[in-house]
Amino acid sequence: MRLLALEIERTVDGDVRGWLPVNEFTRVPSGGPGLAAVAMLVDALGGATALPAADPDWAITADLSIHLLPTGPIGELRADAHVRRRGRRTLVLDFDLLGDEAVPAGTATGSFTVVARPAHLVDVTFDTAGPRHLMIDPSPDGSDVLDRPYLEELGLVEHEPGVITIELRPEVSNNLSALHGAVHTAVMDAASASLGRPLLGPDAETSDVHLAFLNLARPGPMRAEAVAVGPPSPEGDRLTAEVRLVDADGRLCSYATTSVVTA
Amino acid sequence: MTPLEPIDEKPRPNFGARTSGVAAYLGMAVSELGDGTEPLAVLRGPFAAPAHITDADGRTPTGVLAALVDSIGGLASGIASMPDWIVTTNLTLRRSPGALSGQVGTGPLVLDTEVLRRGRSAVVTRTAVSSADGTPVATGWMTCAVLTPTGGPPPITRPIRPLLQEPVADPAFSTAPAEFFGLREGKAPGEVALDIIGRIRNPWGILHGGAMTVLADVAARSAVAGAPALEPTPGLVTADLITHYLSPGRVGPVVASAEVLGRRDREHLVRVIVRDHGADDRLLVESVVTVRHAG
Repeated sequence: MRLLALEIERTVDGDVRGWLPVNEFTRVPSGGPGLAAVAMLVDALGGATALPAADPDWAITADLSIHLLPTGPIGELRADAHVRRRGRRTLVLDFDLLGDEAVPAGTATGSFTVVARPAHLVDVTFDTAGPRHLMIDPSPDGSDVLDRPYLEELGLVEHEPGVITIELRPEVSNNLSALHGAVHTAVMDAASASLGRPLLGPDAETSDVHLAFLNLARPGPMRAEAVAVGPPSPEGDRLTAEVRLVDADGRLCSYATTSVVTA
Repeated sequence: MTPLEPIDEKPRPNFGARTSGVAAYLGMAVSELGDGTEPLAVLRGPFAAPAHITDADGRTPTGVLAALVDSIGGLASGIASMPDWIVTTNLTLRRSPGALSGQVGTGPLVLDTEVLRRGRSAVVTRTAVSSADGTPVATGWMTCAVLTPTGGPPPITRPIRPLLQEPVADPAFSTAPAEFFGLREGKAPGEVALDIIGRIRNPWGILHGGAMTVLADVAARSAVAGAPALEPTPGLVTADLITHYLSPGRVGPVVASAEVLGRRDREHLVRVIVRDHGADDRLLVESVVTVRHAG
């Protein structure tokens, strides 16, 4: 979150909006931000929206979908979060994505399971209305500025087309010392694009994901493998894939289906 | 299966409706692989793809395919949840892009379903769809919430074997999906309505989840084509469909409204919202659909 310099704004009506700067380290061939970086924005806004909505209970992400449109070169992505359903046990949010405040960039949805608030989180309070600001302040020494591709920064390693591993380091973990939810999505993105490049060309990028969080991902390293669902389109511009992410014990931690397209 | 939050404070279910409702229309003969002693069932559902359901090429429409995934995935989830039962909360279906046009992916299909996770409050299943020769046609997965239904779960005998059922005399069961589900054109392209008639209610009396995916599929293609909803949309096929079930449909008429969000070359990204007009426009479903110019 700090590396990506995400910003957030919360209105008095409870609406939540966030921004992701798009630069050479987060951009994909079609000009907009890569799905992995968008996932971090959506996940962060999802938490900022779902947790107050679930209060006094707690909310855990159950699944996340992101659908990207080609924006061409943009400098910033905005996401507006909306609560679509607040039930006793389920919370559903959707997100409108907009490039440079004007270009349609896609949409996202997230489902959350509402659970009793864990004892160690009873004192957690949520921000009230506030203007646009960084979600996490930059480190004083400037060491947390993204200076290489985001997926590289996460420590993803490609072993063969469709196969990606990641070590479980504090930088990619959540407060339960398991792989962060948005990083799950980043690994799925990387595995899908990796699978797609030999089939669609070097500019293949993941445009679409729907991911189910199944188990806490630990211990590391984690391994994701993407498998094609049949051949690409006859036009060579699209591929459907399934991706499974397992931890070092071989336990299935998340599962996704994705679409990979040419830029 | 069933959209969210349907079960409390409602009439007891009528499981006999399974022989004269959406399940009978789909006609998928589901069997369990194994002897039925494992807590998690692995299911196989052959689908004959009868001509009145498929398009002119013999391809099963994506909305119907999603209804089949809902049906078999719901059964696997329900078995995993016994003695409780389940309601579908969301479902995703992606077709293989190599099977969107031409002869690939036409004709009879086989659905294979496994449980990916059975938790205390939710079950996740995955369904692979292939043609009779094993060619991948689509993949789907769905999440169900676990609930304790009034009147208990449906009677289930394991191992699961196909229900022996008499042919339904009602001629509606031999009509195209739009007619069976009672779709009506809305006020503009992208708008589709239906009334919650008896045959499209589930055993709990609620609009069947498969009706929602059929609605979303038709509404999305209509919006992209800019044509009335019941007009054919040659060359347009729904490639992906993700549906979030937000509330149960009880009253009707139910109206789906599709909005095209943008385009990527041959594909259009569409959001479909479904509301129950008879229940103060209650939001029932939000769906995100990719419609592709195929062939």
